[in-house]
Amino acid sequence: MKEHSRPTRNRREFVADAFCGFGALALASLDAQAAVKNPLAPKPPHIPAKAKSVIFLFMAGGPSQVETFDPKPLLNKLDGQKRPAEFGEAKYQFVAPNATLLGTKRTFKKYGKSGIEVSDLFPHLSTVVDDLAVLRGCHGDMVVHSAAQYQLMTGRILPGFPNMGSWVTYGLGSESNSLPAYCVLPDPKGALEAGQPMYMQGFLPAVYQPTMLRSGAKPVLNLDLPQGITSSQRKETLDFLRGLNEAGMKPGDSEMEARIASYDLAFRMQTEAPEAFDISKETEETKALYGIGKKETDDYGRRCLLARRLVERGVRFTCVVSGGGPGNMQWDAHGDIEENHLRMAMHTDQPVTALLKDLKRRGLLDTTLVLWGGEFGRSPESQGNKGRDHHNLGFTMWMAGGGIKGGQVVGNTDAIGLRAIERPMHFRDIHTTVLNQLGLTQDALSYLHLGRRERLTEVHGEVIKEIV
Amino acid sequence: MKSSSIAILLSFVVTTQLIAETTAPLGTYTAVERRHWSFQPRQTPAVPTFTAPADKAWVKNPIDAFVLARLKQEEMAPAPEADRRTLIRRASFALLGLPPTPEEIRAFETDKSPNAWEKVVERYLASPQYGERWAQHWLDVVRYSETDGFEYDTHRNGAWRFRDYVVRSLNEDKPYDRFVMEQLAGDEMDAKAEWLRVASGLQRMGPLRKNAGNQEVASSRSEVLTEMTNIVGAAFLGVTIGCARCHDHKFDAFRQSDYYRIQAYFAATHDKDIALASEAEQAAWKAKAKATEDEIKKIKASMKGKEGDELAAIEKQLEDATDSLPAPLPALYSVENDFKRATPIHLLERGEYTRPKDKVGARPLGVLLPDGAPERETLPENPRTKLAEWVVAPENPLTARVMANRIWHWYLGRGIVATTNDFGKMGLRPTNPELLDWMANQFIAGGWKLKPMHRLLLNSSTWKQSYNSPAFEANMAKDPENKYLWHASRRRLEAEEMRDSMLAVAGRLNLKMGGPSIMVPVDKELTNLLYKPSQWAIAADKSEHDRRSVYLIAKRNLRLPMMDAFDAPDMQISCARRESSTHAPQALELTNGEFASAMADAFAARLTKEAGADPKRITERAWQLATGRSPNAKELALAAQYLSGNRPLREFALAVLNLNSFAYVE
Repeated sequence: MKEHSRPTRNRREFVADAFCGFGALALASLDAQAAVKNPLAPKPPHIPAKAKSVIFLFMAGGPSQVETFDPKPLLNKLDGQKRPAEFGEAKYQFVAPNATLLGTKRTFKKYGKSGIEVSDLFPHLSTVVDDLAVLRGCHGDMVVHSAAQYQLMTGRILPGFPNMGSWVTYGLGSESNSLPAYCVLPDPKGALEAGQPMYMQGFLPAVYQPTMLRSGAKPVLNLDLPQGITSSQRKETLDFLRGLNEAGMKPGDSEMEARIASYDLAFRMQTEAPEAFDISKETEETKALYGIGKKETDDYGRRCLLARRLVERGVRFTCVVSGGGPGNMQWDAHGDIEENHLRMAMHTDQPVTALLKDLKRRGLLDTTLVLWGGEFGRSPESQGNKGRDHHNLGFTMWMAGGGIKGGQVVGNTDAIGLRAIERPMHFRDIHTTVLNQLGLTQDALSYLHLGRRERLTEVHGEVIKEIV
Repeated sequence: MKSSSIAILLSFVVTTQLIAETTAPLGTYTAVERRHWSFQPRQTPAVPTFTAPADKAWVKNPIDAFVLARLKQEEMAPAPEADRRTLIRRASFALLGLPPTPEEIRAFETDKSPNAWEKVVERYLASPQYGERWAQHWLDVVRYSETDGFEYDTHRNGAWRFRDYVVRSLNEDKPYDRFVMEQLAGDEMDAKAEWLRVASGLQRMGPLRKNAGNQEVASSRSEVLTEMTNIVGAAFLGVTIGCARCHDHKFDAFRQSDYYRIQAYFAATHDKDIALASEAEQAAWKAKAKATEDEIKKIKASMKGKEGDELAAIEKQLEDATDSLPAPLPALYSVENDFKRATPIHLLERGEYTRPKDKVGARPLGVLLPDGAPERETLPENPRTKLAEWVVAPENPLTARVMANRIWHWYLGRGIVATTNDFGKMGLRPTNPELLDWMANQFIAGGWKLKPMHRLLLNSSTWKQSYNSPAFEANMAKDPENKYLWHASRRRLEAEEMRDSMLAVAGRLNLKMGGPSIMVPVDKELTNLLYKPSQWAIAADKSEHDRRSVYLIAKRNLRLPMMDAFDAPDMQISCARRESSTHAPQALELTNGEFASAMADAFAARLTKEAGADPKRITERAWQLATGRSPNAKELALAAQYLSGNRPLREFALAVLNLNSFAYVE
């Protein structure tokens, strides 16, 4: 039944523009036989592509714009005062209406040829700032973690919709025949508010689900043989199984052939993937570059290095999460912005920079889009007397590589970092730009679900023209 | 005219003007919109008749007549009847979601009585496992889950009772109109009837966002009402009214005002947890909880001024303390009307609760009403009953068609309308509209009962066809999706069927019914992905881990890897039709997964016990159990060769559990 197995779909059928529509058209013209062949076979992009892969450095909890990439001298001048009325209203999760503005202790300097201002939280990153397109005018719709994380990841404020990694895999297939196409490297410190559903494939077929790469020696579930079974024994079992399945089927039965082929891929994953996850063979210089072996940077450094190894081997979309567990173990600096951001930046600054440098020297940065950011920024007002609350009206993300024109700042917030006022960019614009670099368009990358032709962007996004 | 009369008249004018200013106008619908096929009254189509003896012999009931007529139009012929062992395996999975035992198969194959098939059908329909299998279909549709989703993914006390309600309703063959009424309005029908209260827990089945801090009550309420409204369209009416939340539906005749007029029926609906414990028990619980609650207060106080790792440590303490509260007392997860807290329902610009526009009163979908049918200006005493009565009225053109079509879909793998939740313009047209109407009429005539519909299908030649057909290649080229039913479709077992069958074949299945849901052991890395890992409380009694999948907890933020891999729905939105994808993580799950490993060990032990050490006997038994047939010559030879090599029997057993013949039903 075709709509039971729709993993592959003829590109010409991606005709729709509307939300609620064109289901019957697409459904009626599907080719049932094609649908059962390898759904992860690489597929041509809709438009010429600049990037092949994406690494999303997800700063969970919401890093502060005014402590990182968006200097606001006026905020320091107004420290301790109430927000002047001309800046307008904002809704926070916790901050009381009578809260006062909080200046930052960070200092900003201009770096690189581009002279982009970066705070002293990122001494490493400031050395590669000419590769970054810093997006200061980002905004989203939600001011609580879970809903904002869903919107960042899936374009919707509710669970149940596919992550951009699933969408991209659905659109382009996999370049690797022994690794999953879409990987998430969660922070071992713990889970996030939106939980597992934010990474998932939603209503897309399970073939587009993420593979969670766990910390430790066995990153992928089910890659290890059961205890007491040797790999030669297992090889014999799988050969036996193949023989049986072939003996029980008609020649040319593509659905059964696809199932047999999935066992071949599984076996390749089992034998080849561990090599991809094994960073021990990297040079000492490379490990040192990522800060592996140093307490502060070891974990995130390992995961960034792993992300590079995955990209090298054709993995399409990798999400490397910084932050997990209780809020203060994320960038969620309600209590003390200084303590929290110094610590979180310390964990990530060197590894992130190393990733960019390493991709570049291997010639991978041109085809790898690196996206950095959280589900929102933080309030110019103080929470308590040292913390900052969530804030979705204006914050910073950045992109690098994958055809992005670095060395520029796009958009801006007002003079206290409250609201994106210049060139505001919604998550949907970020999504559209990511798709664009991969050669995908938001309308063509759609999927019929419950009578609606769903896509990553709920409302049409716009490509951020300045940076592509 | 007296001045007082003028005043009255004036006041009337003023009032109507006020209403005219603030109430959304009733939708108007063009003739073309009203003519959409699924909005038309059901026809009573004439059952096609045939003269050729072969056709007459093939047509066992009107279903066959409609199908055969359609096939003839397409110049195709039906496939021959499948053999008995194929039929019983197919029926067993369709009705019970479990494989038939070799003994059942043999008994049926050797039963010479003319009603041998009817006996099988009746036995399965009377089996308690029938309700469990069919409950899962319905639970998919209503996106049943026992947790809130979102960050806390809080477990809903007593929510599992809804699953038992569905299983029971199906097993007792409750009429579908009644089933719908109970789920929409059980609490209004009889507030004292426990199962009715459980049924209307449907209103609380959607995901629920709860956040600390400046809670926006209006926002949460708006989300809750959205969930209640959308499911009416998706589950009962088979139309995508949810699309009209933000704007008039782009393709179907649903205005935004229609959407909010349906929502108005839920304006007074609020959560209600009903304690089942006695007052004494409740008092005892409170006393027991007091120490922990005091402790929680203390910990909270100690958080002040703490930061970094120190704060994290206290947060952890707080979590532990919260987790050590005594288990909640039994309760019903339900709703009730609270008219004092009724939400005024307005059209919301772009669906945003901050942008209310005209207000609306309750009214069913306008396109199905005569022009100008008024809305209710005030909520009736039992608003959801009124809505439900409209939904299940025999004149409603959608409800019976939608359910008859679902039944068809669950049997044949594809509905007569393939888009089972979308009977609108963008859904597919019925491949056989006369058949759909006949089925829907029959459904109502049979008192909205499912079991008579099952009998019709199970006794039809249509359903009994084999997968293979003499014209296989030609027909496959013509109709690869089997829209016109020229053969039996083949399907992969669904996630729950796969797990339950592995348990059954391995001899481990625990058929205990009902009760609170079970959490089985999972990899620690998975529970670590939960915001509160301690939510995952593994059942202490290990035999509980082997219960049917419908009794495993339906938790939005943690699904078993096996369920994930085999396309189980994510419980966030209504799932009318499961995907069936094929990919490597499934193979890894079934070869290296802990569950598959445990099943392979158990299956190997069972084979040794039941078939001794003789390779041929082992092979025969393994195939009978797992695939419902004997191994063919090639398979026998391969098995003999494999087993002669002194290889572990559990690897042999594992291979059998990975056979295509095990994972697929023809």
